[in-house]
Amino acid sequence: MAKGSKVFNVSVFFVVFRECLEAVVIVSVLLSFLKQSVGQQDVNIYKRLRKQVWIGVAAGLFICLAIGGGFIGAYYSLQNDIFGSAEDLWEGIFCMIATVMISIMGIAMLRVNKLQAKWRVKIARALLDIPERKRDRFKIGHLTRRYAMFLLPFFTVLREGLEAVVFVAGAGITTQGSSASAYPLPVVVGLIAGTAVGVLLYYGTSKSSMQVFLVASTCILYLISAGLFSRGAWYFENYRYNKATGGDASESGDGNGSYNIRKAVYHVNCCNPELDNGWDIFNALLGWQNTGYLSSMLCYNIYWLVLMIVVGLMMFEEKKGHLPFCKHLTLRQLSPTYWLKNKKKDELTQTQKDELFKKVEKLNFNEDGELGQTAIDTHCDSNASENSKSKLEANVVTMSK
Amino acid sequence: MFLGWLALTAALAVQSVLAETHVYNWTTGWGVQNVDGGKDRPVITCNGQWPWPDVRVKKGDRIELYLNNGFDDRNTTLHFHGMFQKNSSQMDGPPMVSQCPIGPGDTFLYNFTVDGNVGTYWYHSHTKGQYQDGMRGAFVIEDDDFPYDYDEDVVLQLGEWYHDVADVLNKDFMSVYNPTGAEPIPQNLIMNNTRNMTWEVEPDTTYLLRIVNTGGFVSQYLWIEDHEMTVVEVDGVYTEKNTTDMLYITTAQRYAVLIHTKNGTSKNFAIMQKFDDTMLDLVPSDLQLNTTNYMVYNKDVALPEQNYVDELDILDDFYLVPHDKVEAYGDPDYQIVVNVTMDNLRSGINYAFFNNLTYTEPKVPTLLTALSAGDDAVNAEVYGSNTHAYVLEKDEIIEIVLNNQDTGTHPFHLHGHVFQAMVRDQAYDDALGEVPHPYLEDDHPAFPEYPMMRDTLYVRPQSNFVVRFKADNPGVWFFHCHIEWHLTQGLAIVLIEDPLSIQASHGQQLTDNHKNVCKNVGIPTKGNAAGNSQDYMNLAGENVQEKFIPTGFTAKGIVAMTFSCLAAILGLITIAFYGLMDIKNVEEKVVHDLDLDITELVGQDDSASEIRDVTK
Repeated sequence: MAKGSKVFNVSVFFVVFRECLEAVVIVSVLLSFLKQSVGQQDVNIYKRLRKQVWIGVAAGLFICLAIGGGFIGAYYSLQNDIFGSAEDLWEGIFCMIATVMISIMGIAMLRVNKLQAKWRVKIARALLDIPERKRDRFKIGHLTRRYAMFLLPFFTVLREGLEAVVFVAGAGITTQGSSASAYPLPVVVGLIAGTAVGVLLYYGTSKSSMQVFLVASTCILYLISAGLFSRGAWYFENYRYNKATGGDASESGDGNGSYNIRKAVYHVNCCNPELDNGWDIFNALLGWQNTGYLSSMLCYNIYWLVLMIVVGLMMFEEKKGHLPFCKHLTLRQLSPTYWLKNKKKDELTQTQKDELFKKVEKLNFNEDGELGQTAIDTHCDSNASENSKSKLEANVVTMSK
Repeated sequence: MFLGWLALTAALAVQSVLAETHVYNWTTGWGVQNVDGGKDRPVITCNGQWPWPDVRVKKGDRIELYLNNGFDDRNTTLHFHGMFQKNSSQMDGPPMVSQCPIGPGDTFLYNFTVDGNVGTYWYHSHTKGQYQDGMRGAFVIEDDDFPYDYDEDVVLQLGEWYHDVADVLNKDFMSVYNPTGAEPIPQNLIMNNTRNMTWEVEPDTTYLLRIVNTGGFVSQYLWIEDHEMTVVEVDGVYTEKNTTDMLYITTAQRYAVLIHTKNGTSKNFAIMQKFDDTMLDLVPSDLQLNTTNYMVYNKDVALPEQNYVDELDILDDFYLVPHDKVEAYGDPDYQIVVNVTMDNLRSGINYAFFNNLTYTEPKVPTLLTALSAGDDAVNAEVYGSNTHAYVLEKDEIIEIVLNNQDTGTHPFHLHGHVFQAMVRDQAYDDALGEVPHPYLEDDHPAFPEYPMMRDTLYVRPQSNFVVRFKADNPGVWFFHCHIEWHLTQGLAIVLIEDPLSIQASHGQQLTDNHKNVCKNVGIPTKGNAAGNSQDYMNLAGENVQEKFIPTGFTAKGIVAMTFSCLAAILGLITIAFYGLMDIKNVEEKVVHDLDLDITELVGQDDSASEIRDVTK
């Protein structure tokens, strides 16, 4: 086993880095909401609520790390008992699962304005939900109102963080020859680097360089994902071969007999990610193996082909509003869940959207920092709308392209 | 002077009168036996019987053995292990080396005189795996001039036993799914064709125990509880007495030992066999490494328990001294250096190599090429590029230097000779990071004055040995690893000794029977390794081994890599392009994506219609 994979798991680093960028966006959206609704009214309350936000973020993060650490520790201590000789099979399955996860999430998080918008809607909804929902249940309602600015970031970070834990575990477990000791360093470095880069770019320079960073890190995630897909196929091939040979051929070295020559497209007697220093990084990032099986090479190419087609369709739809050749069909409609839920929504008009954010602005925080009942004003005059418009414009990301 | 001459003639006359001719008529076939008490399995029978009979003849006797191939789907042969076959090389046995294989329904007459050999030998099929299916037996040549005294002569035939026939084992062994060339693991060790054998002995008696390992794979440790063994013969060579508690016997090796039984009959003793488990690729948990047999003095007394030893303190046969004290041969006239390796070829199957050549059968048996090639017979090329043939000149001192680059122990056997063991180096353990150690001509242990002589010598892991012999026996002789699996993998070379003398000898000419056997299996009796009898230097069409596996990228690998890189780059460009594309109506899309109920979210939307697009 290479030394590198014992202390620094590269995929883990990139996943953490990527999740941190998103966390920065979440926090910034929250803070900007806060600033909008209470910032100008009461500086003390604003400061206290901001503190709550930070504490919430920190607490959520801490619990995530604890859960993640426990989960990964448990996995590695039980690994041999669970998988035994079928380890290659399981690694292949994990690779495939991780590929699907990264592929689906990656596109959704690709663009910072979309990302920011997502969080704006999500958070706005959450903020508005609290007072209404808790109207009858006084006690709990009181607490949630009082600590809304703690609980909201806390649960958001916790939920997103747990997702990251699953990602990290998935990316890490599927790294060849990985061990539990390979996690702490990339997680810490990823946290620091991701936060630093996120804050610097988000607040420092321009949103467009944040966008470039997001695209770049997403690209790397897709490289990892394509590699994972190829590796999944490789593991299945290896599993079949090892089962037929009755041993672990890949551990017998790089040489002849360490792979099934009848299925191999190429093989080099070196650069084995499980044995040779340095090559495990290429394995983690690009799915490199010193044996290329027909299936693993095909999978790699097919992955990119499918991705290009899907992204191409998305681009088309974004421009024209529908898929090519089908005027009334969108990608969303191709998803089975779309029809399952049977909630073909009306389009959200500009007005509805403005209403949503307007309500957020009208959130009441009393002198204790409690979230009060919002005066829902659905029939606002044009003056108010003008007001809200200007504030919203400050809030919405404008792409400086 | 005259009297002396008379006496000599008389003696010769007496001997020739006394020399007997033994005629055997054996037909191969299949039967079913439960040899080790574990499983009924097919075995190769002799005239419907199993085990095969032991042959016991006197020095100078003639053997006329008719071997009838009773199989309907395979060829066969018989090799008399250790026989010099002086002037009868075609009776030696290995197919495509000294003879044509005997086809189904055909008969080959093995006709030879045992005048150069005495002691303990054995015979076995030399055709792929057949002797592991039971086609073997002991072959003892008694000698009136045996140098030591004994009361009784007993054969102890060791072996290992598989629960599957060699056909089945070979199919899995020579397979892409056996990439490390792991040899099949035997199920049991057997002795005299059974397990837990009982040997009834008389007290105060000297036995000459002729121990033969007729197995096809593992070496065995052998010891008898509380009894010493005095080695007096190895592989048909009498030795100075050497007493030991334990023997280490590779396949095909023989030891004759004297054992003097105890005076009392109050106790029986264990005869222990033990696997050399270092030769096994893995030791299955249910494999019994030790097998107990019984030396019974008194049937009324309980059988002994298994006997344990603190250490495997074996006799190192290298230090045995031949009884005749033959001095070490001088510097060799011709040296053959071979390196043993194992590797996979293009098909993914694991082969064994001497100097990167895996023995591949020629189209004409090598002896038949030597007989038909005329003056070209002295040119090693006519025997083919893949038979790994060496031509030895008459009466040369030949030295074979064998460097074992493999991590296993291998017993090597030379047909037609006994050789002197000049050097046998210690083992070099790769688990300790030691690397293969070749023989160095200017840095080796001193040669023994009277080297041990035998026909099967093992080399230790990653080690080397040096043997010498005199090329005084014209014929075609195989030199190969006597692990049957490794012979199947091609661990062999062919020595063509003094080919012009073979051609010149009347006794070496092909018998009519032999020619018929060739005809019946469609093998030419003339021609070079490629079967070309017109131009012996033209080897077009000869059998050659598969190609070696290329190191590094081949064309299809480069194509696959190029396509993969291209796909990744295009994919990344697509993502980047999409990621940096401007988006309209972000919030709308997001709310849509999040599957939110819009009316629930914002209530009515009848007012504020004049609000403009904020994302503009």
